[in-house]
Amino acid sequence: MAEPALKKENKRIFDEGLDGGTKKLTPERIEMVIRDVLDNETGARLKVYVDTCVHCGLCSEACHFYLSNDNDPSFSPAGKVKQTLWEMLKKRGKVSPEFIYRASEIASTECNLCRRCSMYCPFGIDIAYLMLVVRRICHKLGVVPQYIQSTANSHAATLNQMWVKEDEWIDSLMWQEEEAQDEIPSLRIPLEKEGADVIYSVIGPEPKFRAQLIYQAAVIMNEAGIDWTMPATPGWDNSDMCMYTGDNEMMGRLKKAHFETAMRLKAKRIVMGECGHAYRSVYDTGNRWLTWKTPPIPVIHAIEFYYELFKEGKIKITEKFDSPVTLHDPCNIVRGRGLHEMARYVVNETCEKFIEMVPNREHNFCCSAGGGVINCGPPFKTKRVEGNKVKAEQLFAAKAKGAKTVIAPCHNCHGGLEDIIHHYGLDMELKFLGDIIYECMEKNG
Amino acid sequence: MPEVEFQGKKFNVDEDGFIDDYTNWSEEWVQFVKQEEGISELNDEHKKVIDVLREYYEKNGIAPMVRVLSKVTGFKLKHIYELFPSGPGKGACKMAGLPKPTGCV
Repeated sequence: MAEPALKKENKRIFDEGLDGGTKKLTPERIEMVIRDVLDNETGARLKVYVDTCVHCGLCSEACHFYLSNDNDPSFSPAGKVKQTLWEMLKKRGKVSPEFIYRASEIASTECNLCRRCSMYCPFGIDIAYLMLVVRRICHKLGVVPQYIQSTANSHAATLNQMWVKEDEWIDSLMWQEEEAQDEIPSLRIPLEKEGADVIYSVIGPEPKFRAQLIYQAAVIMNEAGIDWTMPATPGWDNSDMCMYTGDNEMMGRLKKAHFETAMRLKAKRIVMGECGHAYRSVYDTGNRWLTWKTPPIPVIHAIEFYYELFKEGKIKITEKFDSPVTLHDPCNIVRGRGLHEMARYVVNETCEKFIEMVPNREHNFCCSAGGGVINCGPPFKTKRVEGNKVKAEQLFAAKAKGAKTVIAPCHNCHGGLEDIIHHYGLDMELKFLGDIIYECMEKNG
Repeated sequence: MPEVEFQGKKFNVDEDGFIDDYTNWSEEWVQFVKQEEGISELNDEHKKVIDVLREYYEKNGIAPMVRVLSKVTGFKLKHIYELFPSGPGKGACKMAGLPKPTGCV
């Protein structure tokens, strides 16, 4: 098979990170790195996946990129493997620098690692894993899209993804405590409390720009009477873009800092905010890199936490959210963890009218932002949004049934759906579950 | 990079609609983003936010935390979102001529 031809419709996009990295490559270095990763970092798993695939193409129809690009086979999951990993395997690493540029672009910006295709593969091949192997190789070759690499650099320097300094983190929490006290005078955001039932962790964008999410979480904790705390040290950010750039060593460091922060404070368990990829990194990928099959301290996602609060009657709704809602099932917490029925329980507890989008639950279409794709930044936005026409159609259909608000309990899904709503003129409102709970709950203070 | 023209001025923007270089920022750019963001009227408070963002960016090469923005302008978080409905990281940074922030935004 020849090296992949660049099709007119998916020609290579210029990116400084990809370009700068590619320029420094030599054929010897490429061959050495590919062989090193394939020989020393992969094993039976990769071999079984590669040997088992019968090239049937059933994965194609599962992929939003394929469906949204007029069934272009180069966007099918198997097609993406063919243009990247199969070629590397076949040639035992003898591929060109330009090949690596495209391989990195395909693995980082044309696949969301959402694993919908694995559900349609007759053998259940985890194609997301194969794309992560490609990303790992590209990381070791220094060919990574600039925006997401910058985010990974922030993780490495600060242990959070948005260059937030220690004093800024503490100051932001105290500020939100103060603002929330205007509404609920007795409210506290306890810092560094030892032995609390819950340590609450968030992602970088929350203190950086979306501090209202911390405010809302504090109101919910306060009203539910939870014994909780937040850390005043690095380790508060549960997100992990290094997991997506292929920087596994750094991914491990981040997860370790996160778990150790919770253990230092002797917290009984970690409750995470509404983020999907961070969840994948703590219960699946990062913990395993650190050799823990399950996290060393119990971790639950916001959806599980809200579910408990409603089941135990710790939060009461004064008046249900009255605009008809639909729910987007994020890949990492639904296909990855099966939290879809809990999410529906919370939606039904808080909203007057719930309209399912179709397909839903583990069959839901991806937002096209996840897997680090939105984090690759502006150069790839058009490809990402136009590569998810099927999501727009799915939302239009839910809208036709009356849905006005889309609930997306994941930050990346939020970003992706916001762009889709805007680009396709959907005119729908977008919310986190926490937004709705905060808005409709009884607040006694 | 796509080019947009507004009030006789041309700007190069990235695919998220952020300006290519903050030194190419001008009053016309502010008016253009105002229209893009659907902000009905620009007042002194918008200008104050933009001034703070630009000054901070020139000094630090990064957008400030919304906490810093609030401290320097004296505006509460809610008010910053009233001024820029798409938020400080998107609408306000865009209008101030900063690049799109990195991260899950």
